[in-house]
This record gives sequence, C-alpha cells and structure tokens, in this order.
Amino acid sequence: MIVVKDLTKYYGEYPAVRAVSFQVDKGQVVGFLGPNGAGKSTTMRMLAGFLTATSGSAKIDGKDVFWDPIEARRRIGYMPENCPIYSDMRIDEYLWFRGGLKGLSRSERKTRIGYVLERCWLTDVKRQIVGTLSKGYRQRVGLADALLADPPVLILDEPTAGLDPTQIRETRKLMRELGQHHTMLLSTHILSEVEATCDSVIVIYQGQVVEDGSLAAVRQRNKNNSLEEIFVKLTGQEGI
Amino acid sequence: MRATLSLIRREFAAYFTGPAGYATMFGFLILTGLLFNLNLNLLTHEGPVGVEYPMQVMFGGADSPVIALVAGVLFWGLFPAITGMLTMRLLAEERGTGSIELLMTAPIRDWQVVAAKFVACFWFYLVLWLPTLVYLPVLADLHAEWKAAFTVWSVLMLVGLPLIVVSKIAFLRDGPGWLIYGVGLLGFVATGVGGYFHYTTDAEHILKLTAGIDLAPIWTSYLGIVLAGGMFLSLGLFVSSLVKSQLEAWMMSLLLGLIFVLPGLLRWVLEPGSVGYELMYFISVPEHFRRTFTRGQLDTRPLVLYVTVTLFCLFLTVRSLEARRMR
Repeated sequence: MIVVKDLTKYYGEYPAVRAVSFQVDKGQVVGFLGPNGAGKSTTMRMLAGFLTATSGSAKIDGKDVFWDPIEARRRIGYMPENCPIYSDMRIDEYLWFRGGLKGLSRSERKTRIGYVLERCWLTDVKRQIVGTLSKGYRQRVGLADALLADPPVLILDEPTAGLDPTQIRETRKLMRELGQHHTMLLSTHILSEVEATCDSVIVIYQGQVVEDGSLAAVRQRNKNNSLEEIFVKLTGQEGI
Repeated sequence: MRATLSLIRREFAAYFTGPAGYATMFGFLILTGLLFNLNLNLLTHEGPVGVEYPMQVMFGGADSPVIALVAGVLFWGLFPAITGMLTMRLLAEERGTGSIELLMTAPIRDWQVVAAKFVACFWFYLVLWLPTLVYLPVLADLHAEWKAAFTVWSVLMLVGLPLIVVSKIAFLRDGPGWLIYGVGLLGFVATGVGGYFHYTTDAEHILKLTAGIDLAPIWTSYLGIVLAGGMFLSLGLFVSSLVKSQLEAWMMSLLLGLIFVLPGLLRWVLEPGSVGYELMYFISVPEHFRRTFTRGQLDTRPLVLYVTVTLFCLFLTVRSLEARRMR
C-alpha cells in the first residue's frame, strides 16, 4: 500500500531524511518511532505531499506522490502534528468545507460527515466553533477530517500528543478499530501505545531506518527486551 | 472544480466571520461617502469653482479646487491599503497557523488554491464597491418616468418577475426541486421574452430612464477600478504567500502598491510630452483615471497593464507555493 524507496530530504545542507526505504502492506498498522528530530514528520510530510523529496520515490496504492500527486493524495487521510485547523469555523462547517475540498458530492458529504462525527465522538459539539475547542477535541476534528473521504491509507502524526489519559485511551481504542479497515502509519512517542495498537514498527534515527519489522520479529532480533529498551539501544542513548 | 468552489466559498465566508472584513467595508464606505459628499458640493456650486467631470472627484482625479486634489491623494493613498487589508490574510495566516499543511495535502492543485483565493478576495472587493452604486442615480442625474403602458408584452414581463422571486425564495427555503426550477424557468422566459418585445415593439414604455449626463464616464471608471483593483489584489496575494505575519503582508503590499500610485505625483515635475512623463504614465494608476477613465475614454494601455500584472503576480504566487514544498 505504501512503498517508499530511497527517500531523501535535505533542508539546505542538512540531511533530515537519508535514503529511507520501507513498505507497508494493505491492512497493516505500523508504528513509526524515533526520537525528536529523527525525520518522522519530514517523512510523513513527504508521503502526504506537503514536501517534495530531494531524491527517491514514494508510492501510495501504486500512485507516485510526486508524479501523480492528486490521485495519491486522494488515497491518504493525513493528520499533521498539532492539528492546525481554521479556528473561525464551526466543526460541521469545517468538515463540509473539507469534504468539498476532497471532491465529495453533497449527498456523500452528508452521509460521511454524519459517520465521522459519530465515529470521533463529535456529534454533541458539532456546532461549536473550532477555535473554542480543547486540544483533545481539536485532535478529534483532525482525525474526523482525515477519515472524511474514506481513504485506504491513514497517516497520523502524533495523534495522541498532548491528550489527557482518558482521551489517550479513547483515541487508542479508535485507532484499533480503524486499523481493521485502513492501512495506517502512525508516529508516536508512547511505546505502550505501539504495543497496544500496531502490528509492526519502523524505527528511524538520524534520518535512517534502523529497525523495521513486525513487533514479534523485532523483539526476537533484540533478545526479547521490552520495546523501551530496544528503542533506547537503537537510538544510541543508552548512557543517558 | 468542486474543490475550487469549496475553497472559494470558505475564503469568501471568512471575510464575514471576523471583524477585519467589516472594518474594511466601514472604512471604505466612509471614504467613498466623503468623496461623494465633496463631489456633490462641487457639482452644485455656483461660479467657477466647480468640477467638470462628476466621476473625477469620486475616483480621485480632479486637480482643482485644492480640496478635490487633497481628496484624490487621500483616495489613492488609501486604495492600496484597503486592497492590502483584503489580501493580507489569505496565505500569510495559513502559513502562520500552519493550516496550509492541511490545505496543500488535500487533493487540489496549487494553481487551484491560488485561483480560489484570488477569486474570493476579488468578489469581496466587488462587494466593497457595490454600495457605491446608490450614488450613481445622483451623479448621472437620472430621471425615471412611469407610465401605465400595459400591453401584452409588458404584462408578461410584470408577471414573470414575481415568479422568479417566488422560486428563489422557495429554493432558499426548501432546496432544489423540479417545481421550483420549473417556476423559476417560466419566470425567466416570461420576463425575458416580455421585456424584449416590450422594448422593441411597443411605442410607449412602462419605465423611461433618462440620464442628464453622458453615461460613458461611469462605466469606464467602474471597469477601470475593477481591473486596477484586481492588479493590487494579486500583488497583495503574492506578498501574502511570502511572509508569515499578516501585518508584514499588509505593509509590504501597501509599499508595493504605492509603486503604481506614487509616480503620479511626478507629473508636476516632469515636462508634459517628455519621455519621462510618458514612462510615468505607463505605471501611474491615478494618472490613468485622471486622464482617461473618469472622462469616459477607454485607454487600452492601462487595461493591458492591469491584466498582465494580475496574471504575472498570480503566476508568481503559484511558483511561491510550489517553492515552499521544495524548501
């Protein structure tokens, strides 16, 4: 579903992502791990089409994100970090607008908006102005937007960052349910979350993939340590 | 197409969700209202202190008396500031809050984003000018005469009009439906056919409009200001794509806009007919209005300038958005 080959991104002289290659099969839920500044967000932004890669290629469902950007973006539901949403709109207005932007017809929009509002527990607050929402609700609106066009691939950048424990638990439950219908790539710092929701992990460090495989395989390769220990070992911060 | 329309609607609606749009409208109405008041005083003044062309004062093109000159400088000084207010938000805000990330990852092309934003601010610009239409009957010295000239055609037209209104109201209330479309279509056909034959075949007309002055200055002025506005708006849109702060975007678009305004001040220094004067005339928007548009002439040179600068700036904006991905 997602095929990434030798993806490289330079910010000026600085290589943020260096020859990253991986593959995510249909129906898989993949946790994208790595310390801050490892290149997670940059990779996800390149997949979503917000940034153009310096070299290498990425394909979503067979559509190249550089050569066929519109078709590729149609297949992605993307939720960026911190969920920047127009703060002057109401939730249902915002989703109606996003639905149009994604090319849904009026009747499709009506049914899909009803569905995602229900799915993300937003039905009661749908007339609220986005600017007045708490962080958790904004995150849900971002997720509802990503689900809106029913894309086969979901790319979520830190969907649980800044949420309270209850909200994290709710979101995690939602991720598990969504993982049954969508191919998902989600980045996070919470390792227990990966263990709870993901089939496999990709660990990225200093712009390079250092570990890639199913949870069980990764554990086996690393002497059955806990994910946390594996993470610390791979990202070379043992002494800290 | 659906994506573009969706974006246009959202951008246009955004002018009405915050105070900025209303503040701009308010300021603009005060400005044109003052100009209209001044214009009216000068037009009805006795003696050799009046003005020759009614539209000249409205569009800041009169030289004498001094008060009209000052008003003209004020108008053209504020004009780029007003168009800047409309465009400063468009891309700078998106970049500032980061919402541009969601916009640029939606399945919509960069040129569609730019086109939608431009169309939205251009519509709002037209809305700004809309209330000034109420000044026109006075400026054009318009007289309306009613006569009870009821013929088959005029009655057909009069029946058609309410049908259109009824179908429009029904559409707003209940949404699309065959009966509503049918009634609307019937209304349009009746009004169109009735109006056409009433105008061409009947000897007496129900409504007779006569203007006391030549109408050409009015429509040429409006055509000029609409296209010139497009130029200033596209400049502002381009600037807005470069910076992250709205204030910066506004100040820079004001400065860039003044490039097309300030050279007009050189006309007191330059020898008329000299090469410098001709060059100044090419890019000085107030001069275009003073010398041609407000006198009812259509000079194609400024019109070509406005349209080409508009298209060029829109092109640059698309490139600037693309460059952001490559960064």
